[in-house]
Amino acid sequence: MQSAKLAMKNEKVTKMVKLTINNKKMEVEEGTTLLEAAQKLGIEIPTLCHHSALKPYGACRVCLVEVIKGSKVGLVASCTYPAEEGLVAKTDTKRVKRARRLSIELLLARCPTSEKVRELALKLGVKKTRFKEEKEECILCGLCVRVCEEMIGKSAISFINRGADREVTTPFKIESSECIGCGACAYLCPTEVIKIEDVIKYRKLDFWNTKLELKKCKVCGRYFIPTVELKYLKEKIKSFEEIELPEEVLEVCPKCRRRILSDKMKEFIGG
Amino acid sequence: MTKILVVDIEKCSGCRICEVACSWFHEEEFNPAKARLSIVSWKKAAISYPMICEQCEKAPCKEVCPTDAIYKDEESGAWKVDEVKCIGCKFCIQVCPLGAISFFEEKRGAIKCDLCDGDPQCVKFCPMDAIEFVEEDKVGLKKKRISAEKLFATMQEIPK
Repeated sequence: MQSAKLAMKNEKVTKMVKLTINNKKMEVEEGTTLLEAAQKLGIEIPTLCHHSALKPYGACRVCLVEVIKGSKVGLVASCTYPAEEGLVAKTDTKRVKRARRLSIELLLARCPTSEKVRELALKLGVKKTRFKEEKEECILCGLCVRVCEEMIGKSAISFINRGADREVTTPFKIESSECIGCGACAYLCPTEVIKIEDVIKYRKLDFWNTKLELKKCKVCGRYFIPTVELKYLKEKIKSFEEIELPEEVLEVCPKCRRRILSDKMKEFIGG
Repeated sequence: MTKILVVDIEKCSGCRICEVACSWFHEEEFNPAKARLSIVSWKKAAISYPMICEQCEKAPCKEVCPTDAIYKDEESGAWKVDEVKCIGCKFCIQVCPLGAISFFEEKRGAIKCDLCDGDPQCVKFCPMDAIEFVEEDKVGLKKKRISAEKLFATMQEIPK
């Protein structure tokens, strides 16, 4: 009985669908997105707002592909479109290229100084934008908002307003009480507008109007981790199932940890 | 059988050739600051010790990673970082009790020892043979021998 249930479960997990991308036939698990399927075939699709650890979002529209269903032909964002049985998709038609060029041209008008946007624009064949240039630096890809919510579990930042006024910021645009200063948002930001700086006692996240106090290393006295991140990690290591990690480890900076451990080795051989 | 890196502290001279070999293999740069292992020197005691990732059986770095970017490479038995999945939160760096994970400004995620896919360069280039790459079950045997030798030496000191 149990094995039958298990078999059913397995069947559910590995249900495969057949599809065709650029005249190449392939089979993927149900739930795979068109982008992932194309990547498996080695087809390159440009992306700006996609990260494989995060849920698909479909904000930047540079991953557009053509989907053919009977007599209907449409453009879809490949990062959010799930693979379906009998689907036919094309990633390199004239229409796709034109649509991608328009998307990147609009982004280029919004953020003319961003290196990554400019690089991708050049790659797609856009040298100059026809639209009025703005001085924004954020392309509203939502990577920072999503990583904070989905992976760190904090939701310190979010989108506010709608349409042309849409922007990413902390609640009420004041110092965030949730931010732990881990820096995942800054790492993922494609335009590198989120900057993190450690100034003696504080970690400054100017883009989020936030300043966090840093904790001193117990051994060398160097400021190395925000107090809130330390608290967050202490709780996290408590929830480890099989590993017992003493809390004190976190209060010493990684450099001093090496020194302490090698000191123990030294004593061991009687140095 | 997976192999692990074992350090013989009595042999290490602190020449840092392992660091250079490591950074050349992984970063194509002769830069000890970008090596995945680091030599800690105790100058007064004239002792050096290379701190290397121990590839813990139950690894805190793997456990803390919110995206499961750290995975076990079945072939070499090393914990590896999936650059594509890494979100740069640096939690792994903060929890590693050995301080064996590092991070560079260039966007490539967390950096740690991956045993060079089964051919560790530090072992290859160490002129003193201080780092060895041995099979897991033979480590115990070697340590037994060392402690037996120590015991033998202490026994000699006891006056008859």
